[in-house]
Amino acid sequence: MGAEKNRRVSMDPRSGLFLLIMANVVAFTQDSLKMELGWIGLLILLFLLCGCISAGIKYGLVFLAVLAIQWYVLPVSPKIIATSFSIFANYARRMFPCLMVGHLMVKTISLRRFIVGMRKLHVPQKLMIPISVTLRYFPAIREEAGHIRDAMRLRNIRGMEMMEAMIVPLMISASETAEELSAAAVTRGIENPAPKTSVIRLHMGPLDWICIVLSIAFAAAAVIM
Amino acid sequence: MSNSTNGKMLKGKDLITIGIFSAIYFVINFIFMLLSGFHPMIWILMPAFIALFSGIPFMLMCAKVQKPGAVLLMGAITALIYFVTGQFTVIILATFVIACALGEIVRSATKYNSFRGNAIAFVCFSLGMTGSPLPIWLMRERFLAQISEQGMPADYIEVLEAVSSPGMLIVLFVAPIIGAIIGAFITKSMFKKHFSKAGIV
Repeated sequence: MGAEKNRRVSMDPRSGLFLLIMANVVAFTQDSLKMELGWIGLLILLFLLCGCISAGIKYGLVFLAVLAIQWYVLPVSPKIIATSFSIFANYARRMFPCLMVGHLMVKTISLRRFIVGMRKLHVPQKLMIPISVTLRYFPAIREEAGHIRDAMRLRNIRGMEMMEAMIVPLMISASETAEELSAAAVTRGIENPAPKTSVIRLHMGPLDWICIVLSIAFAAAAVIM
Repeated sequence: MSNSTNGKMLKGKDLITIGIFSAIYFVINFIFMLLSGFHPMIWILMPAFIALFSGIPFMLMCAKVQKPGAVLLMGAITALIYFVTGQFTVIILATFVIACALGEIVRSATKYNSFRGNAIAFVCFSLGMTGSPLPIWLMRERFLAQISEQGMPADYIEVLEAVSSPGMLIVLFVAPIIGAIIGAFITKSMFKKHFSKAGIV
């Protein structure tokens, strides 16, 4: 327990989810630059507090770069490039806070704690298992795709064949993983109907409450303005 | 361990299978969503592109999980992850719910194991993504005003207005149907060529 505790400050999964919802509300309703900067600044502060210092700084720099591109580079670049990329920059700006919260959650909240959090929120088991498997499987897809790409390069596969050569092994390995994972999970009692227990105990700390209050404040301001 | 003795409830294994194939479906979906940022036309045709390429994960999942709720769960997971990327609207939620419900109805009517039934369910499921560009038509004025306030360039909005004629609305719905049908045929040939031989389905 001590090892869990003193590693770094981290958010409760429930307040993380709440923050995510609020980030969505803010992203869709706000339209003033001051609000946006304040909100991003706050999230960067949260990154720093949670110990993800380099990621926080990186996000800050990328955001500034997007702003700089939008304001200074695009107005003077050729029209076709300007149109396509200003949409891209715009999307990026709108998605930024949500992505930041998502990234922070993935980085600081282990899947185990996330599952305990979902269980506390009474998310049905039938939704919880697939979601946790999906989240865990994304990195596996990336790894798998890397291997397949290497193999394709060795055999010099090009063009339309590439699609087939990529998706077939991916699917085969996916269904194999499904078999193996279910065998492992069933032997560990995933189908046991009794309520599950966990060594992890969640409690909302001061950081969680501060996050919740501030995000409500921002969302409210965004809706009113 | 046949379905009839196990009942039609989703078990741990089914849930894990759904989770894994949803991850692959989402990756395909997300790639096209990113591409759609480049031109309004790609955005409108996005549901069709996704349908064309996501047939294999969807149909393979259907072949493996022949129980009610699979399509609904896949839709729910996709919707929830969309939420993280901030691309989530009430309209997309509504179209997803309708599309998944239709898919479930088709599958239960065709007893879950017919390829044709699953293909029709896939057509229904693919229509769920139409909720992404649909606001252009449903709340035209408000939507255009909103994105211009958020700093979308004026020429983008002009192009968007030009391509979003009422005729394009039909394209928006017909294109995914065609895409899904072609996707289902591709899947069928893949099943024959690879997956049946490997004993996956």
